[in-house]
Amino acid sequence: MKYILMMTGKKSDFEGYARWSKEDLQANVAFMRAFSKELKDSGVFVSTEGLGWPSEAKLVRAGKNGEPITDGVFPESKEFLAGYWIIDVESPEQAYKIAARASQAPGAGGNLANMPIEVRPVLSGHADLGL
Amino acid sequence: MKYILLMSGTKAGVEGYHAWPKQDIEAHMAVLHRINKDLTESGEFVATQGLTGPGEAKVVRGEKNGVPVTDGIFPESKEFLLGYWIVEVPNAERAYAIAGRISAASLNMPIEVRQFAIH
Repeated sequence: MKYILMMTGKKSDFEGYARWSKEDLQANVAFMRAFSKELKDSGVFVSTEGLGWPSEAKLVRAGKNGEPITDGVFPESKEFLAGYWIIDVESPEQAYKIAARASQAPGAGGNLANMPIEVRPVLSGHADLGL
Repeated sequence: MKYILLMSGTKAGVEGYHAWPKQDIEAHMAVLHRINKDLTESGEFVATQGLTGPGEAKVVRGEKNGVPVTDGIFPESKEFLLGYWIVEVPNAERAYAIAGRISAASLNMPIEVRQFAIH
């Protein structure tokens, strides 16, 4: 079963992250690299991506003629996707265990970030929607 | 440049979608399939993925000893990711145009467009 593990944060969280000390950032990035390697070595890795910053995010709707109308203003409370991992595991419990490990990435000042990680099964086909 | 096009919605929005008549859902899916096909033919398609409904979502934190602590209670206002498309395009405008097409096919839902971080 494939699961997606999502890390999200508000604009203020991203700004806070940008102010971390260089050592804290390096420790966090080193953890993320080691974590991806662990997933690959254990054979559960499908894909991972990090996203650009919320300041570059746009919301797009179609106008009457189908032309894109972009908007870059978001409420302060908006949770932006920061990055995700897709894993292929045997059970939800295994997905939660891996998410817990991602949650334990080092944070600022050597403390654990203890970030919440959202875990969702991904659809393997439209049949999953009951259609 | 790689962009991700994110479609999100609240639990109420997802429940509303599931209440659509079968033929409306099929017509919507047919347009999305068509968009995927067009993106594949133009060489811009990288990946697409739909997610299961908010009812199956959990938030997980790790305790000090690594034990996962799960929580399945979310505020009504929470925007859940419903699915995404990853496209490789020459510029942001092209990504916005594709997002506009997806929006037009999907009740004019807003599509969030984000560039990937460069590692």
